[in-house]
Amino acid sequence: MAANPGMAQPPILPPRASMGALGWARANLFSTWHNGALTVVVGAALALALWFGLRWVFLDANWGTIAVIGGRFIIGGFNTDQACPGNNCFWRPQVSLLMITALLGMAWGIIGGSITARIAIVVAAAAALCAFLPYGFDRMGVDVRLLLLANLPALGAGWALARYTSLVSARRLIILAVAVFLATLVLLRGIPGVPGLQPVAVLYWGGLTLNLILAVAGITLSLPIGILLALGRRSQLPVVKLLCVAFIEVFRGVPLITLLFMSQHLVPLAFPETFPRNSLFSAGVVITLFSAAYMAENVRGGLQALNPGQAEAARALGLAGWQTTLFISLPQAIRNVIPAIVGQFIGLFKDTSLVYIIGMVDLVEVGRTFILGNPEYRISTKEVFIFIALVFWVFTYGMSYVSRRVEQYLGVGVR
Amino acid sequence: METIPRFLTYQGIPIWRHAVAIQWALQILSAFAAVFLVSWFFINIENAIQERDIPFGFGFLDRAYQTPIGEHFIPYESSDTFRYALVVAISNTALVAVIGVALSTALGIIIGVARLSDNWLVSKLALAYIEFFRNVPLLVQLLFWFFIVLTLPPVREGYVIAGQLYINNAGISFTGPSPTGMSGALIWLAFAVAGVVIGVFVHNLLERREERTGQASYPFLAGCAAAIAVGAVAWLVVSAVMGDAPFALSTPEPQGRFGRISGGLTIDAGLLILLIGLVIYTSAFIAEIVRAGIQSVSRGQREAARSLGLSGIDTLRHVTFPQALRVIIPPLISQFLNLTKNSSLGGAVGYTDLTNVAITMTQTAPAISIFVMIMLAYLAMSLTWSLIGNLYNRHIRFVGS
Repeated sequence: MAANPGMAQPPILPPRASMGALGWARANLFSTWHNGALTVVVGAALALALWFGLRWVFLDANWGTIAVIGGRFIIGGFNTDQACPGNNCFWRPQVSLLMITALLGMAWGIIGGSITARIAIVVAAAAALCAFLPYGFDRMGVDVRLLLLANLPALGAGWALARYTSLVSARRLIILAVAVFLATLVLLRGIPGVPGLQPVAVLYWGGLTLNLILAVAGITLSLPIGILLALGRRSQLPVVKLLCVAFIEVFRGVPLITLLFMSQHLVPLAFPETFPRNSLFSAGVVITLFSAAYMAENVRGGLQALNPGQAEAARALGLAGWQTTLFISLPQAIRNVIPAIVGQFIGLFKDTSLVYIIGMVDLVEVGRTFILGNPEYRISTKEVFIFIALVFWVFTYGMSYVSRRVEQYLGVGVR
Repeated sequence: METIPRFLTYQGIPIWRHAVAIQWALQILSAFAAVFLVSWFFINIENAIQERDIPFGFGFLDRAYQTPIGEHFIPYESSDTFRYALVVAISNTALVAVIGVALSTALGIIIGVARLSDNWLVSKLALAYIEFFRNVPLLVQLLFWFFIVLTLPPVREGYVIAGQLYINNAGISFTGPSPTGMSGALIWLAFAVAGVVIGVFVHNLLERREERTGQASYPFLAGCAAAIAVGAVAWLVVSAVMGDAPFALSTPEPQGRFGRISGGLTIDAGLLILLIGLVIYTSAFIAEIVRAGIQSVSRGQREAARSLGLSGIDTLRHVTFPQALRVIIPPLISQFLNLTKNSSLGGAVGYTDLTNVAITMTQTAPAISIFVMIMLAYLAMSLTWSLIGNLYNRHIRFVGS
């Protein structure tokens, strides 16, 4: 802030028109008489709502019901007698969580930056805090609690490994992330014949884990497919264009729930018996393709908004068509539509709640079946659904927060 | 390089480097792949149909559906055909779509404007509304309202307000107009529609006069008066000719031991929940679209309007909003499409929308044929919204662009 000799002095700010909280209130709440009246009416309604809301939250609500089935919310029927005789399968999702926190620690060590750090610390701390819950998580013993607490050292180990050794690079981190995802699938699915890893049918996977598996697979696959579709739709080759347009419009024109239900009937007919025939697979495919169709339209919007001079200049410099697309057009187009793409990611995550239609028990369905199955818990309906809504909200709001930070970092709208 | 045989070159360029040749190869390749994939699917499906003796075809359309449809707004009996049952289901979805779009647009505009309010409290409340309802899956919200309505008392023990309004777990019933005879009601409705058209015409005429001469002509008041006058005259004429007023006030009455409400107007629980959920969810998205649209209008426009002496609300109505509409309409239409498609979640809250009926139908009719039908129905509804949007968009675009 030192004055630059030879440069114009920064203009002196005008004096504040009003000072302190009173001045702020006058400017923002009571600027005119009708504004003041509005503030009083809205403020009174809000105070009333807060009074009753907080009373309900702290005095009347029965949050214990949620803790009773905490484990179900996380993993569905995975650890029940039918799925896993002996109920000793709960460590598997926990080990996969440990791998994820270690991965986040490495990302924090490599990328640095406050967002990565915040995500990593919040995930690990939330997991560790769960260890101190008084009850819940289906027979939560000392082993479960220790595995939850181990998330903190896992985070630290990942961070230290990335920070103080040269073993982890950005490229290896991506490969590692894919490996962790596949390892999670194998860990949950189990390996026949290996003690402690008895197979658990995909049918019993559920809860938040199911939503997250579908969302991660859908997000990573739908963006590249969507980009290909968008390029195809803008292609000058009529056949390619026609195919892409038909695909996009059909998938965008029909509700996802209808497509999911269709998949249940059509996938067993359309694929030979050697194909995976489980509902997780078909749900993943349908959600990915559905989202890819929307993604294609977002990317197309970005490509259309691009100045044609960019591509022309690239061609004039001697870049081949694919080089122009890959290195010039796409990076700019995608940067400009980050909000729309993240919006679609959020939509995809919310849409994973629709898999109930093909009999999968995701986070929402856990709550619904729990309430419908136990009439004595009907009184806790509000608590259960508010809890589910908040869980979804934390993830979706987190995604839009990260997208805003990434946009700031890339300087969208500035350059 | 020189050793390439002549037949592998075109215009002196090796064909694998020739742009036209590569493009043709790509097209043929992708067409081939697509044909292969699609025929592979169909051959598999064909085989499966023959192996497992799955029926296929559209002959079922003329069979009786023989299943009740929970809620319907055009007459329906279980003995009606599949074809007609599909029409009933489509009408259910269309009803939700039209009412939902109207309500969520209105609410979305209010919240979008509130988001831009000078009042800090109002603006932040609107922000909280948008950020919460937009980010929670619609299904969760629908189930929340579903279980709230489920905890309401049954019809016999429900809340009754002044004997006119019944609130219970079957829905909301209230006193309202009910047609006394089919023909009288239809004739009057036709006149009423004509009255509205005349009212709009009068309004436009006077508005143009006001713009031209600067004389206050009260177009809105005159338009309303014209419409009401036509309606009132038609009411008297129809009453005189038919010997009975076309509509009479009907009060809801609980009937029977389990309590079924007859008379009055009833919004069934399923429709009510679906509408509440869809409107709240969609209005949060529309509010963001409206906010972005209003912010896209340059600041100078608003400042100029204010300095010309227009009030805040007049500035919004006559200056800012008409210009914002150009930015708002395309994403708004896509929200209308989303709302229509999201109404397929009706099944989760007990509303018999198109998808719900179709899923039930697959138990007694060939699933593949049903899917073809509902895909076409949804595509038709999507196209209708797009058409309306495009027509309106053409109407409001910049003149000469």
